[in-house]
Formats: sequence, structure tokens, C-alpha cells
Amino acid sequence: MPLLIDRQLVENKWVFINPEEGQQSSDLVVGIEYLLIPYALIEEIAILNLEAMGPQLLGVQINGDDDISDLAKWLPQLTLIAIEFPVFRDGRGFSLARQIRRLGYQGELRAVGHFGRDQLGYLQRCGFNAFDFNGDIPTEELVQAFDEISFHYQGAADDPRPIYRQEIISELS
Amino acid sequence: MYQYNKVDQKIVDERVEQFRDQTRRFLAGELSDDEFLALRLMNGLYIQRQAPMLRVAIPYGLMSANQLRKLAHIARTYDKGYGHFTTRTNIQFNWPKLEEVPDILAELAQVEMHAIQTSGNCIRNTTTDHFAGITADEIEDPRPWCEIIRQWSTLHPEFAFLPRKFKIAVTGSSEDRAASQVHDIGLHLVTNEQGEVGFEVLVGGGLGRTPVIGKVIHEFLPKHDLLSYLDAILRVYNLKGRRDNKYKARIKILVESMGIDAFRDLVEAEWQLTKDTELRLTDDEINRVKGFFQPHPYERLEAESPSLSQQLQSDVDFKVWFTRNTRAHKVTGYRSVVVSLKPHLGAPGDITDLQMDIVADLADKYSFSEIRSTHDQNLVLGDVRQDDLYEVWKILAEHNLARANINTLTDMIVCPGFDFCSLANAKTLNISDAINAEFDDLDYLYDLGDIQLNMSGCINACGHHHVGHIGILGVDKKGEDWYQITLGGSGREDASLGKVLGKAVAADEVPSVLRKILQTYVEQRTDEERFLDTVRRVGLDPFKEKVYAVAH
Repeated sequence: MPLLIDRQLVENKWVFINPEEGQQSSDLVVGIEYLLIPYALIEEIAILNLEAMGPQLLGVQINGDDDISDLAKWLPQLTLIAIEFPVFRDGRGFSLARQIRRLGYQGELRAVGHFGRDQLGYLQRCGFNAFDFNGDIPTEELVQAFDEISFHYQGAADDPRPIYRQEIISELS
Repeated sequence: MYQYNKVDQKIVDERVEQFRDQTRRFLAGELSDDEFLALRLMNGLYIQRQAPMLRVAIPYGLMSANQLRKLAHIARTYDKGYGHFTTRTNIQFNWPKLEEVPDILAELAQVEMHAIQTSGNCIRNTTTDHFAGITADEIEDPRPWCEIIRQWSTLHPEFAFLPRKFKIAVTGSSEDRAASQVHDIGLHLVTNEQGEVGFEVLVGGGLGRTPVIGKVIHEFLPKHDLLSYLDAILRVYNLKGRRDNKYKARIKILVESMGIDAFRDLVEAEWQLTKDTELRLTDDEINRVKGFFQPHPYERLEAESPSLSQQLQSDVDFKVWFTRNTRAHKVTGYRSVVVSLKPHLGAPGDITDLQMDIVADLADKYSFSEIRSTHDQNLVLGDVRQDDLYEVWKILAEHNLARANINTLTDMIVCPGFDFCSLANAKTLNISDAINAEFDDLDYLYDLGDIQLNMSGCINACGHHHVGHIGILGVDKKGEDWYQITLGGSGREDASLGKVLGKAVAADEVPSVLRKILQTYVEQRTDEERFLDTVRRVGLDPFKEKVYAVAH
């Protein structure tokens, strides 16, 4: 299933593993090259000898209930951070993304779950560069949604300058 | 007032086209009800009992004559010839067609107006004192700060899907005409010991199901840090506010449950990471925005006006109106005129297209082409020469806009209630008519003095009943409308929440119950004591005894 990454349609390589009760996560990860796990399992998974078992790259999926105050220490090991939107109206992911970019994370930041075309501009501004449309195949047309509004008053992850620190304002006054 | 530059205009124009496309996709079935709901609400569009309702933003209640004329045009062309002013100083149109809303928004954009964030779980219109800039007791004009907040909050990428709606009010004087203590954030311009001007910041006030007075989170916030501090509060709220229950999702519930000190700690920790970043306001920006709010080119006038004195002497109706509906201005020879949108019988806050045109023309001719909408659902012509008052009064009176009832019992704040609103449990407009019919003797109302009566048709409290000196809340009991009365509330600098008088009363009993409450006040009051002060001094018991006395 393709995703939108940096405005391109890209095939997804990552496999999300979420062990059910009684399952050993060490069994499930064997043979998976791009391993995506719930953030709650990071302590458990990180101590495994992943490279010997299969996974070459590690990602975590965060939801709004996770406490991410320790996230900074795991960042060097992470190639993907996915943030889950449980429903369209749950906007916690926007702030989580801002905080994660503020920590200096420069890898893929992926929105997963229930978000929509009409949030893409805001999601991108908050630091997301990848979008997994919950099973829907993204269309080329979606890319237009990013730039429907050409100016921004606020600084954000993509451009920290509010309107009053942008060149445009001095040109206008 | 603030004038759009190319960036402001482009953002609003593009937002219109964005919404046009969202409406098209919704009507074509490409956008789900749920997604369109969130998107249309963020553009002020509700689906109500009768029809869609469009709420248009009037940033901090300030509009130009041309803007008001455009609102008249919209009422005439796309609606049924009237609009309704709200306690957020916005205007609502009750009968637009869904498919025409993009065209209405395009018309608004022509005069630098929009409906952005007038609804939905986002940062709403920032409100302020309707006498901002013209009242003598002001530390600083709050409107430039409102405009700075307007720009920062408009289409904010991070704070568009908050747990619940978010309202900010700013005041610049010691008198609070913006109900700032019952806002999610209240900002008070204050001076510190060094003589610097900054903000006292309150958080977690609100009405609705759980009324709360806001708490001080920061005693003196330097001006340049305004946006970074707001940003920190909003981020903490966005991450921590409850999302499992919409009735517990406002920031007041978060602050109450954590305690203000723990909440402050989180905000301060977040703020330390952002206060010295690009978010810090620059002097250039503050001065740029302040430049739009410079005093008008007032004339040098004498304090005494012989013609005014003569008019006041010869025309008692004019004198009554002058006393009740006009107010001292900080510039000698000028007064501020409150245009009453509380006629004898008629929905409080409603205004026809013709009345809007008339007020716009008066503003052009007599008040520097500006009009203010007020928190208590009236309009203000802020800067009228006292020599012109008689002419202004005659024209207002001719168009039923001069009822001399400002700050009296019939200057009620009333939500539209069940007649229009799909959330409401009970009607309100029949009750406000009944109150008007019962209390049509203006001399009696003047004797009662300043009384704020607020009425809501449901627990969501759009009519601010908790902070009325007299509050009326409509409730549904087995399909019938009943009304719960509260006494002793205030939304002003002495903010307090009203206390419930007793069991709810039937619709047809409301006027007679009010009569008894007011009789009790007249019996109990000392010289010059306001209704609110009497209630505070004697408590509810005398009122209860009178209202619920068993008939012998």
C-alpha cells in the first residue's frame, strides 16, 4: 500500500508489530527488516539483538496517551516515528509532532490513522513528512492540498518565523 | 482600525476557495459528514433547527461602516433581512443556504471579513472592552493586542483540533466589560512596580455546565512574551485536555483537576523552551499594529455645549436617552453612544438590514466610520460630538434603535434559544418578550437602576446566565419549558457566579417571579445600593421567601 512521503507516492516498507497478550515480541520480530512497534514496547525491544533476528531499522508508533518524556534518549536508534490519530478531531498529534521536531529528530515523521486531506497543510507545518491514509491509496491530487494557503502567520516546524519575522512583512510595510 | 495588507487579504481569499472546494466535495459525497462537520464549524457554519447558521467574525467587536453595510447586504441578499449579534461580538445569519455560503464568504473577503474560527474546537474570536481606546481609565488600548492574537491564532496549524473551543478576552482598564474572568484565558493589561506595562494572565474560567472563575497563572507577563506564553498554555491544553467527554474537555476542567499550581508548572516548563525563540514579539511588530489604533483626529471642543444643554432641557425623551444610552468619552466634547438592540418587543441582539445601513450611515457621518459590537449584544458609536447627539438620537429613535434601557433590566443578554438553536432545551425569546411586556414602565426600570439579566435556553450557557445579576436558565421537564432562576452573578471585575434561587418556575410565571424578586430588592435596598449589592449583602433568603411563599 503506497504512502505519501515528501509529497511522493512511495511503497510502505514498514511492518507494524503489536504483540497480543501471551505473544513474545521476540518471536514476532524475526525476519522483519523494517520494524515498527508501539512506543510502549521500546524498552523491551531495544534490548534485543535486533540485527541478528532480522530487523535492520526500528520505528515507534506513538499515540496521545503515551508519555514521551524519555523519547529523546531513543532517538538515535529510530528511523521512523509514527503518530496515530485515533479520530479526525483528536489534535494531540499536532503538538506531539512539534515537540518531537523540537528535540531535533530529522527522520521520517508519519501520520497514521484518521486524519484527512484537509489537515495535510497543518500536519506538514507541524513537522509530518509522511502520511499513511489508513488503507486508502493516496492520489496525486492530494499533493495540491499542502499549498492551499500560501502564507502563514505562525512559526511552526517547517518555518519557525512568525509573520513578523518573515521578509514579506518588510516588503509590505 | 486594522487594515489588511496583501498577506492578510491573500490568506482570507485562499481560505474562501479552500472552503468552496470543501463544500463542493461534501455536496458531491466525497467528504464524510463527520469530516465536513469539523471543517465547516471552523468556518462558522452550523446546521441548526431551521437551516444552516453562519457566524461571521467581528474581531474584538470593531467594524467599519463599509463592513456593516456589507453585513446588511448579506442579510438582504442571502438571508431573511436580519442578523443577530452574539456575546462574542460576532454576527449570526440564521437562514443562509449551504451551497451559497462560499459566495457569502467571498463577499465578506471583499471588505476584509471572514468567518474563520467562529466555531469549532479552535481559538475563537478574541473579545475586548467595547469602550477600548475611548475610556478615560485605560492603562493601554487592548485592541492592538487583540489583533496580534487574532493573527497568531488564525489558521494556527497546531491548535485547530483542540479538545474543545477556546476563548480569549483582553482588557485594558480596571473595569471589566469583556467578562474576562469567565474566559479560557483572560488577559489584563497591568502596570508593574517599575511602571512597565504587561499582562496579568488568568486561565481556566468558563461558563457552560461547569461555571468557573478563572485563576491567575501569571501575575506579570512582559508584553514581548505574550504569544510564547499563550502558545505554551495551548500546547499543554492540547496534549492534556480530556477528549473522552466533550462536557469535560474545556481547559477549566483540566486546571481544576490538576490544580492551578501543577498546571502552571507544566506551562512554565513548556514556556522556558519557547520564550526566547522567534515567537518573541518584536518592537517593530508591536509598533506596526499599534499604528492602526491611533486616536482619531478629534476636534478641540468646549466641555459645555449650549445647544446640547438647550436640547436636554427642551426634550425630556432625549434627556432620558442621553442619561441612559450615552457615556463619557476621554476626549472633551465627545460622547460614546450605545445603540440599543433591545427594543420593546423583539429578539435581543437582532438587527435588520435597514437598521444596519442606518447605523453605518450614522458612523460615517458622526463617528469616524467605526462601529463596535458589545459583549451584551448592543452596538456602540464610539466617538460622537456632543453637538451631534440630538441628530443621532432622532435617527436612531426613528428606526427603533434608541430604547433608553442600557444597563436596565430589559437590556438583557439572551441566546436565540429553542426557536433557532438545535442544542437548546427551552425557548428564550418568548420569555424576553414576556419580561418586556411586564416591565414596560421605563421609570420603574430607572428606579431599579443597573441590573444585568442574562438568559440561556440550555446548560451550554451562551446567554451567560451564571454571571447575570439575575440569571434565567431554560430547562426541559417532560417536554415542557421551565426556568431556573439564579441571583448574584457578575461577569465584571467583581466576577461571581449566581446562586440558584430554588425550584424552576413555569414559563408563564417568570414575569411575576421577577416582579417579586424586584419588590424584595426595593424593600431591602439601602440608599443607592445596586441590585447586585443588595443580593450580596442580604443573601438569597428574603428573595426565596417572597418567591416561594405559600399563598394564603
